[in-house]
Amino acid sequence: MPGDLENSSAMTVSTASGEASVSSSGNQTVPPTTTTKKKRNRPGMPDPDAEVIALSPKTLMATNRFVCEICNKGFQRDQNLQLHRRGHNLPWKLRQRSSKEVRKRVYVCPESSCVHHDPSRALGDLTGIKKHFCRKHGEKNWKCDKCSKKYAVQSDWKAHLKTCGTKEYKCDCGTLFSRRDSFITHRAFCDALAEESARAQTVANTSSEEDPKLQIVHSSPPPPPPPPPSTTTVTSVVLPIQNPGYTGKEWNFKKISVGFLSALVSNSLSYLSFPFLFPVLVGGLPENPTEILQPTPTPAETGFNGISSSSSSNGSTSSRVFASLFASSTAAGSLQPPTSAFSDLICAMARSERPGNLESASATEPTSLCLSNNCLSLFETVGQDRRQYAPPQQPAMAATAILQKAAQIGSKATNASLLRGLGLAMSSSSSPQESLQWNCQIDPEPAPVGAGLGLALPYDGGAGLTELMMGPSSLSLSLFGPKPTTLDFLGLGMAVGGAPTGGLSALITSIGSGLDVAAAAASFGGGGGGGGGGNSNSNSPGNKWEEALDRKPSTPSLL
Amino acid sequence: MMQFTEPPPSHPLLHQMSPCSNLPMSKNQFHRTRPWPGFSSSKAVGSFGDANCMEQLLVHCANAIDSNDATLAQQILWVLNNIAPPDGDSNQRLTCGFLRALIARAAKTGSCKMLTAMASANTNLARNTHKFSLIELANFIDLTPWHRFGFTAANAAILEAVEGFSVVHIIDLSSTHCMQIPTLIDSIANRPDGPPLIKLTVVGATEDVPPMLDLSYEELGTKLMNFARSRNVGMEFRVIPSSSSDGFASLIEQLRVQQIVFGGEGEALVINCHMMLHYIPEETLGVIQETNSNPYFFDSSPTLSLRTMFLKSLRSLDPTIVILVDEDADFTSINLVCRLRSAFNYLWIPYDTVDTFLPRGSKHRQWYEADMCWKIENVIANEGVQRVERLEPKSRWVQRMRNANFRGISFGEDAVSEVKSMLDEHAAGWGLKKEEDDLVLTWKGHNVGFATAWVPA
Repeated sequence: MPGDLENSSAMTVSTASGEASVSSSGNQTVPPTTTTKKKRNRPGMPDPDAEVIALSPKTLMATNRFVCEICNKGFQRDQNLQLHRRGHNLPWKLRQRSSKEVRKRVYVCPESSCVHHDPSRALGDLTGIKKHFCRKHGEKNWKCDKCSKKYAVQSDWKAHLKTCGTKEYKCDCGTLFSRRDSFITHRAFCDALAEESARAQTVANTSSEEDPKLQIVHSSPPPPPPPPPSTTTVTSVVLPIQNPGYTGKEWNFKKISVGFLSALVSNSLSYLSFPFLFPVLVGGLPENPTEILQPTPTPAETGFNGISSSSSSNGSTSSRVFASLFASSTAAGSLQPPTSAFSDLICAMARSERPGNLESASATEPTSLCLSNNCLSLFETVGQDRRQYAPPQQPAMAATAILQKAAQIGSKATNASLLRGLGLAMSSSSSPQESLQWNCQIDPEPAPVGAGLGLALPYDGGAGLTELMMGPSSLSLSLFGPKPTTLDFLGLGMAVGGAPTGGLSALITSIGSGLDVAAAAASFGGGGGGGGGGNSNSNSPGNKWEEALDRKPSTPSLL
Repeated sequence: MMQFTEPPPSHPLLHQMSPCSNLPMSKNQFHRTRPWPGFSSSKAVGSFGDANCMEQLLVHCANAIDSNDATLAQQILWVLNNIAPPDGDSNQRLTCGFLRALIARAAKTGSCKMLTAMASANTNLARNTHKFSLIELANFIDLTPWHRFGFTAANAAILEAVEGFSVVHIIDLSSTHCMQIPTLIDSIANRPDGPPLIKLTVVGATEDVPPMLDLSYEELGTKLMNFARSRNVGMEFRVIPSSSSDGFASLIEQLRVQQIVFGGEGEALVINCHMMLHYIPEETLGVIQETNSNPYFFDSSPTLSLRTMFLKSLRSLDPTIVILVDEDADFTSINLVCRLRSAFNYLWIPYDTVDTFLPRGSKHRQWYEADMCWKIENVIANEGVQRVERLEPKSRWVQRMRNANFRGISFGEDAVSEVKSMLDEHAAGWGLKKEEDDLVLTWKGHNVGFATAWVPA
């Protein structure tokens, strides 16, 4: 062998560069050794001149025929015993492989009924006949604990163990399924899935805080094939609160909200005002600036440009409010489509960037573009009733976070009604069964198909023009998935078209804004009725809100 | 009929009863007892263990109870009680279920105090219907093709029908608490053109019909949405409280309102009816619902049953596809004996099949049979609105759907092959028949359930 090595390496060197000699020689040594190996006879086709050996079942099955006389340890092969004997300082002798000894041995199966009992069908090696005998004529004592399959040969069993479960379906809870259907159904209802997604959520939360750019990448309009659900599906509760739209200007939030309140009161719509403040909070909250995902360039000013014409219908509305609304909307647009508690909200914005829309709400775009984009998305009729389907997956957390903010703000502003308004808003979004019993789940995948659907916009296409005019209000609407808030928003925005619910229509009528849209709204008669809310909405809005106010928020302890 | 007119002559009691059995004979003429191929011979245990004999005894007993013949009723009940132990073979357990149902019926009529006492001692069998956890129910349904047949066929047909739609609104009218939905979500998630948004609307039934769930639909919905999200499918979930007793009037109303408001354009509307529609009152009960209380205000004809009106209103929603899966039997007769025979000759199947998938004495088997007992008792002991198990045979449903201006469509090759491979995973007795457009699940050659698919004509 060493000689071979030398030769081959020398050959290589002569043909190739000297530097390559080592590696190439290593490669080349392999073929010679394999060719010198004897070919295994195919089972049942022995050489005619081979020595036929018939072993009794007992001998065949004996696992250790060669026993050490000192320690009684048994070995399957004599050679192994000989090696063992060396340890006892006993005389030992390894058989030398010599060319004279070549006489081949073949083995027959001791089972007389077996085809391999005939010497002409004898098997070529001892292990082969052993396994054959075990498999075909022996007991199957090796059982797989997972699938209960039994094997007679241990090595078969071991081989099975390696693959068992790979073909089958295993839930994280440990349950195994042989059928996909069964596994799927189990999986859907198993707590393991809920736990997993809960874990995924925390992970994603962290990542969204740590790496905002990643999020932004995801939000680019025609998204690449859906990223793993754990990152897309889960979004942080923080997102809405992060206020990415916050530009660094020191907004006087209190001032805005209070001013806004007064504006509302002056409109004699005070009972509608509480929820309206909410987006202001969300949008205008000077939250921790480090969490800003993507600062929007001067949203206030650009926002005004985009909005000014439409906002004229409500003179008393502070433009700053619009700005705040707008800022938040822009921010939402720059975020990736989330499924957070504010899924309606965010989704509405994120979805508004339709794949076809080049001017998607990417954060670097001028904000006016974002606005127009959102307005465009209002014409989507597909997602209309989304907002009836209520709130999102983890409302509690979001509610918690926002309510805490609300509490802070509320205490600053010392405005109880504001606080109540917030609480109300929360309750409307966190208690699905109370309103319409829809639970809203946003499509986590920013797929083109789903893009238009994710819209949480309650508008009817028919009222398109009006809606366009009422851009700001529509924005605020989309900020607020859950209905009651949006209703009020509409009412405040004054003269907004497309009434999603009967309650709204009634509201508009009662406001007496006198727009032709009101008629259109009325024609929807309880249209929001997707759920039980439809009926209650048809009451006068005042009653409705009385009820709503009486209702405690789902997380009252926070207040 | 033979076994009825010629009772085994070996027992005097049967001779004694034969005269009174003549009375309901004429009513039973239109009912044909099914043959029991591969069943009666192997399961026959003497003259009384025979299923046909047990059926006769039950019929006699029912007649005796209805004619207030307490003595005779008690005699037969005594005999039945001895030949049909609750832990016997499948026939005996089946008979035992009917026996208890008859006792319950007798107790309700109050004609016999002893029976009342018996009933109160005996009612636990059907009363202790188990409340399943979701996992339990999933495992339970997985044991047998009883529901999986409909799930598999329906899912394949739905998947085909909603191709190209970006929003799929599924109304799941199912007695199995959304057990079909995960597999549907899964297959929709994998469709080549990307998953649609799924809106799932389920009916929060106001009445308790087994299998019962130990958690609310809100919790169920959360889990389903969670699952959909894990499959990258957007999903919305809504529960509309509605009752089969008024033909799901509130559901229809809400769907209608929604359609008026949103038009539903680009949205597929899938109505999946899985063993649920037979709870809607049909003609034999419909007369109770007069025009005033009729929730379907648009149709004041008193001759229309709620069942008919429900289908008509379904049609008015112009659904993309309607899947109708139900059990293939007739429990609608106002005649007790007819119903008893019909039920006896259908419900042997679940008792017979259970041996193939649940060991004797197992807890799951008790749950399973308790649910069966509940059904039997509902069919036998109850009347009027309380009798909710109102199965109709496939032929009648087909006629109803056609009358409601639906057109049957054929299940695709995919559906057929999927059902077949599903059946391969179960015991050998299950089979699949194709009848025109429809699929029929069989057990030992007997029709068990059917799956039909419909589109607006």
